[in-house]
Amino acid sequence: MPAPPALRGWLLDVDEPPDGRGVRMWVRRPDGSTRVTAVEFARPFYVEAPADERARLARRIADDGRAASVAPVVRRLRWDDPRPVRALAVTPRRATDRLPLARSVDAFGRYYRYRLYNVDRPLASEFYRARRLYPFAPLTGPPEAPVALEPADRIDYRPMPLRVAELSVRAGDGPREAVVPDDAPIREIRLGDERMDGPEEPLLRALAERLAREDPDLLLTDGGDGFDVPRLYARARAHGLGPDRFHLGRIPGGERPFRGARAFASYGRIYHRPAAYRAPGRFHIDRATSFLYDDVGLAGLIDAARLSRLPFETVARQSPGTVFTALEIETALDAGAAVPWKKNRPEGFRTAEHLVRADRGGVIFQPPVGIHDAVDEFDFVSLFPHLMVRHNLSADRLDCRCCPASPHVAPGLGYRFCARRPGLLPRTLRPLIARRRALRRSAGRTDRSPEARASDRARAKMLKWILVTAFGYQGYRNARFGRIEVHEAINAFARELLAEVARAADRAGYRVLHGIVDSLWLSIDPAAPTPDPERWASELGAAVDLPLGYEGRYRWIAFLPSVRTGVGVPNRFFGRYASGEYKIRGIGSRRHDTPDYLRHVEREILALFARAPDAARVLAERPRALARADLFAAELKSGGVDPHRLLIAHRFGHAPTSETPFTDAVAAARQRPDAPGVRYVVADRANASWRRRVRVLGVEPIEGPYDVGVYLGLLARTVATLLAPLGVTEAELVERWAIDPAPRAAAFASPQRPGQTTLLPPPGPVIRPGRL
Amino acid sequence: MGRTAPTYRQALEARMSRWEEFARLLTTPEERAAFETLRSGARRYVTPATHVGSPDLLETILLSVLLDMARRLRELEGKPPVR
Repeated sequence: MPAPPALRGWLLDVDEPPDGRGVRMWVRRPDGSTRVTAVEFARPFYVEAPADERARLARRIADDGRAASVAPVVRRLRWDDPRPVRALAVTPRRATDRLPLARSVDAFGRYYRYRLYNVDRPLASEFYRARRLYPFAPLTGPPEAPVALEPADRIDYRPMPLRVAELSVRAGDGPREAVVPDDAPIREIRLGDERMDGPEEPLLRALAERLAREDPDLLLTDGGDGFDVPRLYARARAHGLGPDRFHLGRIPGGERPFRGARAFASYGRIYHRPAAYRAPGRFHIDRATSFLYDDVGLAGLIDAARLSRLPFETVARQSPGTVFTALEIETALDAGAAVPWKKNRPEGFRTAEHLVRADRGGVIFQPPVGIHDAVDEFDFVSLFPHLMVRHNLSADRLDCRCCPASPHVAPGLGYRFCARRPGLLPRTLRPLIARRRALRRSAGRTDRSPEARASDRARAKMLKWILVTAFGYQGYRNARFGRIEVHEAINAFARELLAEVARAADRAGYRVLHGIVDSLWLSIDPAAPTPDPERWASELGAAVDLPLGYEGRYRWIAFLPSVRTGVGVPNRFFGRYASGEYKIRGIGSRRHDTPDYLRHVEREILALFARAPDAARVLAERPRALARADLFAAELKSGGVDPHRLLIAHRFGHAPTSETPFTDAVAAARQRPDAPGVRYVVADRANASWRRRVRVLGVEPIEGPYDVGVYLGLLARTVATLLAPLGVTEAELVERWAIDPAPRAAAFASPQRPGQTTLLPPPGPVIRPGRL
Repeated sequence: MGRTAPTYRQALEARMSRWEEFARLLTTPEERAAFETLRSGARRYVTPATHVGSPDLLETILLSVLLDMARRLRELEGKPPVR
């Protein structure tokens, strides 16, 4: 047997040099050093234009100085049509010309006559694909043309050794979150375990030396994009240390952001994202802006980069949706198609009746408010991805001509999906589902090391995120391969399934208590024989050909009412499994804006129920729970609670105007006008001065008295929400603790919940025109 | 988020606030309580009502209310639970 080829290093990263010519390969060699190689590399984009315009367009592009070449080609381009088409292949001179040139071509076609392909994929991804490489690949072969030692989708690979160092900076004298003037000198720098302080200029030089010596691959910051990185460069510049003498990357070039600051809206909230900074040759991950890092860790991010051929930093900084789209693109390219630049595919016309039928989500069985005994919980594992694969739900296989009698018809909607050829979406998803299952299995194997199992769990979680977005993106108007009909079909199949499962549960002797889309909470009917839940789940799962899992039995579970209407709302409950574990959803402890003190209250009260074996005994704890709540009320009234534990977090939607009611959050915003969010303590709500009304973290020390009435009100709301199933009401608590019924609020102040975005209209019933 | 048609729950609540105008001029507490029964009957069946996906909101509301009535009637008639 021949010896396996020698490991020559790992492919750390591929990026684009600032001059836009080719790419740079960053290779980590086995001795620990890192080497960068410039590689000539250019890729064409494609333009599909009407036959009578093609020649004129080709001449026009050739005359444009930004194109290196333009050539006619005949090849497949469309992802939903395998036939080859005539098109132009345009290769830009430099990578930086690519987008402007494509925009010119698109404009020349009046934005609708031409279809453009392969325009905006990262050049690094193109390079990885062209060379059969991927991020973090172990390499062999010559340095200028390395070869990957193993396929990207291998599961049990040895991860590349990455050197990680945390970087943080303290400027001025106050705490880290304080507002510091732009010219305040840097007093302290931490890099990894090393804490450095002293006069600023030597300090900055020491950091540069240390970076060169330790040579980390990954700089981890907490808010580095917004503060640490730009501050370091600004202070270095102030001492005459230019980018050549002071840089955080392996080479200069990171002193300017690669993406500017912006605000964006997501699920009704507005966020601010600071300008983003890279450290060329290294990675920079800002935990404050990387949604994924804290959730799936390095192992999950590295796995996603390998599979999607996206640059690691793109994976870390973007959402799982970006990774999912990249995976779809890989599948489309494997099939010989190209990547459409813009979707250019409006929704079809439909009747209002059809819209009402089709535009629905999953089934929700509204839970009855109260405490229930002996409840079994069942979940479908990766339900939506499985449905997409099972029924071939993919936009390119919708209403195909080849199978008019296909059994894959969306219930009630009539959309028909091909029964013969798997579509792009199922082809993308199938290996991901299998990979996630394998990782979950190996994470549970006790013969493996704890580190390996933690890595498996993190990677499985990353895949879970990708699979979740796979569904959401079908309904997203800009998803390149998505179509709303697929989104609707998935929901239709899921509704049908849950209805079927609910009937089966009833036959088995269960009663449906609560259900959300892919999960069911079933109560055991005392008059009927109890089914064996494990067996029932596996039998039913086999019958519907989808994996149904048994989550466990609750000793008791309490469903909580909506704060507004008092009726049961989905996903707002706490319960205790037979195993002793709690499951809590939708209460203050799960929200980021809740003051620490109220979280503590919730924990303490829940702990009272820890020994209750059934619902009756939970109900019997009512007096003790109220007595415990009284202690907290007394503690608040005494003024003895540490105000740091009363900090309320608030993010801003937009700047207050003269129309905005004067709330606590507005008072806080006035004190930190530039911050995207604040944390504050209500000092005196009745005070008309915005300085005295609230104390804002980072502006002044958090000490002194707090507004007892406000916090008692919040306590009453927290306790009433938690104890509603025990029959405790907010009004009862307000009376019990003699809370001033009309808070001594300043003019126009509105009562508010922690974290409520007061600058937007308060939540109220959604008034929309009735159905047709 | 981003939906074109309101959900049944939203449409129902919008209609319920219209009904509120009706209830406002009911003069006896008995009538008001009976009206509340009607409304909770409508809210009791939001899950199946959503599943119908009917463009006729009123049909679905009335069906829910009638079913709630029929259920109560069975109870009043002393019929045993089905099992």
